Amino acid sequence: MRTAALLRLSLRSVGRNARRSALTAAAMALGLALLMFSRALAEGGHEQWIDSAVRLGLGHVAVQAPGFLENGRLEDRLDEDRVTRVEDALAGLDGGALVVSWAPRLSTSGLASSAASALPVRIEGVDPEREQAFSTLPDQRVQGRYLEPGDRLQAFVGIELARRLEIEVGGRFVLTAQTASGQVEGQLVRVAGIFRTGIQEMDEGLVHVPLSTARSWLGTPGAATTVALLLTSSRHTDAVVAELDRSLDGAAGIRVLGWREASPELDSAVRIDDYGDYVFHGILFAIVALAILNAIMMSVLSRKREFGILQALGLTRAETGLVVFGEGLFLTAASGIAGGVLGFVATWLFFRDGLDFSGLMENTITLSGGIIDPVIVPVFRIDQVVLSLWSITVIGTLASLYPALRASRLDAAEAMKFEQ
Amino acid sequence: MAEDHLWWRVAWRNLGRNRGRTLITTSALAFGYLSAVVMVGLTDGMSAELVENGTRLLIGQAQVHASDYLPERSMYRTIGGQNGVDVADLLERLEAHPDVRAAAPRLYGGGLVSGGEHTEAALLLGIAPGRERHVTTLLGHVTEGRAPASGSREVMIGVEMARQLGVGVGDELVLVAPAADGSMGNDLFALVGIFDTGTPGIDASYAVLALDELQRLMAMDPGRIHEVALTVSRPVDTPAIAEALGAYLGSDPPTEVRPWTALRPELAESVALMDSMNFIIVLIIFAMAVFGVANTMIIGTFERTREFAVVRALGSSTGNVARTVVYEGIVLGALALVAGVAMTWPILVWWHRAPPDLSALVGGFSWSGAQWRPVLRVEYSLEGPVLSALALFLTAVLAALYPAWKAARIPPADALAGR
Amino acid sequence: MRRIEAGRAWILTLVGLLLPHPALAQSPTAREIIDRVDRLLRGESSRARVEMQITTEHWSRTLEMRVWSLGVDYSLVRLTAPPREAGTATLKARQEVWNYLPRVDRTIKVPASLMMGSWMGSHFTNDDLVKESRIVDDYEFVMSYDGRREGVSVWEFVMTPKPDAPVVWGRIEEQIRQSDLMPVWVRYYDEDGDLVRTLTFDDYKTMGGRLVPAIMLVVPADKPEESTRLVYHDLEFDVPLDPDFFSLRNLRAQGG
Repeated sequence: MRTAALLRLSLRSVGRNARRSALTAAAMALGLALLMFSRALAEGGHEQWIDSAVRLGLGHVAVQAPGFLENGRLEDRLDEDRVTRVEDALAGLDGGALVVSWAPRLSTSGLASSAASALPVRIEGVDPEREQAFSTLPDQRVQGRYLEPGDRLQAFVGIELARRLEIEVGGRFVLTAQTASGQVEGQLVRVAGIFRTGIQEMDEGLVHVPLSTARSWLGTPGAATTVALLLTSSRHTDAVVAELDRSLDGAAGIRVLGWREASPELDSAVRIDDYGDYVFHGILFAIVALAILNAIMMSVLSRKREFGILQALGLTRAETGLVVFGEGLFLTAASGIAGGVLGFVATWLFFRDGLDFSGLMENTITLSGGIIDPVIVPVFRIDQVVLSLWSITVIGTLASLYPALRASRLDAAEAMKFEQ
Repeated sequence: MAEDHLWWRVAWRNLGRNRGRTLITTSALAFGYLSAVVMVGLTDGMSAELVENGTRLLIGQAQVHASDYLPERSMYRTIGGQNGVDVADLLERLEAHPDVRAAAPRLYGGGLVSGGEHTEAALLLGIAPGRERHVTTLLGHVTEGRAPASGSREVMIGVEMARQLGVGVGDELVLVAPAADGSMGNDLFALVGIFDTGTPGIDASYAVLALDELQRLMAMDPGRIHEVALTVSRPVDTPAIAEALGAYLGSDPPTEVRPWTALRPELAESVALMDSMNFIIVLIIFAMAVFGVANTMIIGTFERTREFAVVRALGSSTGNVARTVVYEGIVLGALALVAGVAMTWPILVWWHRAPPDLSALVGGFSWSGAQWRPVLRVEYSLEGPVLSALALFLTAVLAALYPAWKAARIPPADALAGR
Repeated sequence: MRRIEAGRAWILTLVGLLLPHPALAQSPTAREIIDRVDRLLRGESSRARVEMQITTEHWSRTLEMRVWSLGVDYSLVRLTAPPREAGTATLKARQEVWNYLPRVDRTIKVPASLMMGSWMGSHFTNDDLVKESRIVDDYEFVMSYDGRREGVSVWEFVMTPKPDAPVVWGRIEEQIRQSDLMPVWVRYYDEDGDLVRTLTFDDYKTMGGRLVPAIMLVVPADKPEESTRLVYHDLEFDVPLDPDFFSLRNLRAQGG
């Protein structure tokens, strides 16, 4: 009962000292908003790196035959039976909603020759329709078009490769590779489109051809070297890997890889950026905490008299402390709400379309096999938002304890002296 | 200005009287300064790391070629043409230039490396090992064995090529390269070292040997080199330095000096992109620091409404009250900055000297073809700390002045009445 | 040096062209004529002594060599001059090309990525050794000219690749003398219709009991001042050779 009355007193005190309350709350609210915004930006940047890298590469999850990751040879492929098993496992996946799309690929090394030159290339047989949904490579097209269903002798090639082979869209060239039987066979293709990723190895050495063409040319009906999965978010990788492992249990010659395993370089990049973020957010957090603490301490200094009056009105020392502590809690709660809303709204208003750095660049920037999109879209993650809120609440609460303690220890008579 | 002197003293006494407030404000400012400066240092460190790793591994910060060498890189287009050049003299001239730190001559050849059962196509790179060390870190990446020496048939290859060939240090390799006289140069070399730069393209394709050995293999005179790689005094200013060097070298023999920004434009853009992303981070930190300081000052000053009223009631003018507050802000700001600097510099210097190495936690990775060490490194310039100091100082003074001005204008009676 | 690719192996081209032509029926079709020439490429065994004169922008040199071939799958070339390079040898066995380097006494398999590299600095590539010619399967033929050129009755043919054929040329043109079915020249064009290189034949004479062009000249179109010229000195046909002769062991063995 009495507690309720004390809290009402606290609330009134917040309102009475509107200016001081507003200034203190502003520190907390702005701090929270900045924490939320910068966390969302960092998260968005990360997710985008991972997304662009895995979409140009092996997906969030890659299903392969053992040894293919290390050697990249056609011998280490999933034959028709195993591809069927993988497809069945995918169809029966509980977390099926997590899988945005999947794509079978048959890739091998070979030679691309034209009248002008011949160059070593990575040949990738792809399902045009699935690849459109999966890969960002079709979006990197600078000329012509990407492969389409029904294509047979079409190829999608890198701009550097096209330049060196001296071929244009519609031009013909010959791919030569060792087939499953060990023979070296040629395959004629025509350039359907040309891409430019900015990633040197891709622009000068990657050729996409229709999966059906690759399968019949290489003598590997129904086979794939990789079945790549694209997930809704990189966070689900481990869960999907674990579930696929379970449902493929005992299937010999099938290996399920998460992107961290499949692209260790990207893994390192994301990790080191995480550490940079920790340092940055550590500093930001410290400075936010200090701002809040300073604001509260500063206001306590001049409130001796006020605390004295409370005691003079008949409150015990503990009760005085409680009133002051309650005041702090109300402020913290209000700031938490205000800061949270500010964080969301500001981020949403200004940056929903992403922070665009593209004005700075002519060339694309590549990071560990992915293209860095110069537009970063902030991504809110529940746990990150909760963490930011929690941090502010803890700081606010702890910071409120100090004035409460001070108030409770105050000697009323001393405080009422007309000194301050 | 005896009167002015008096107000300084009042300000000083005020600060001393309100020790708590002074301490809190000082800590806010000092810590804000620390945060801002460390953050700027960290981001500068990242840019520097990117530029250095991108250039220092192999390309150097600028390169001198025969003017017709790029972009075809024909093996015949050596500096000085068919007759070559006095390499020692050229290097001496280059290193005499005040902006050139070091220069290293190089020769390239396209060929084959064969060991055991396997043969791989390779880019043969002839270097002067003693000089190369001052320009690039390539020789520092030797993880097994050692770098090849001049005058002996020794070669080092990348870890990836060694894996593909199935060879190790001590094995014998055959190097084959088309020679300048049309013949097919070939010889046996001892594999003395294996390097691991972490960049697969380099680790799989480069075979490095002494310049004189490659010249012999390719039937070229000692005066024939394709390239001189340079380290310059200020990597950020390389384009201007390269231009100056081009003029400095003149046209005999016809040469061309290219800065890393032209050799690796995507690296230059990465640096620009990262700078701008970091700018936002620095901005956030700085905004919070400024806000923290301003907020503390504003609260502190507003809480003194009563005090100002008393002073006013004693006959001071509004202007003099504001003046005292400004003086207090100046003294406080100066004190806080001294504290901030005293706190910040040791941390900065320590961090710079011993950047935390995260390689136990993460591996290296590549960004725009530049290899990164997993370290969080700090670089400092004078600009960041000075600007931060100035900005925070101004913040402190202005944030105190506004509420003081407002408070001093309230009629003394109202204020004394307790509101 | 621009790398160029021959549609047919030069060794085989020569050997093939040297084989006897069956008598042609009256007014043969383009296809019949080319088919005959093409089938000749799948010749039997031969042995020759050849001089190769290479001229480039930067240097000129002459190589002397001995050449053995068996069908389309095997051939072996061994340099006899200049002395510094004597003994250097190249073996083509099916799809692979190996080099023997006497200086270091090693055999080296030419990796796929260097198949388009120049063979011994000439205007032939390693790939030229390997390419199997299936000209009748891969091309459509049109006789574009039937009449006299510079006083000689010739046919000229335009060969365009069939839609799916795994060949790189946009078009090949060839002139053949009507009287003795000797080729005069072959021109190779790229996709855009630009000339890439020209083969010219000359000095038709009887060697090994047959009429052959003893000289063959390759000129890359983008560097007309450069050339590689083959001169045949000795030529024997139907020599007893079996696939064992084209082994790595024999590649390494001196003398051959």
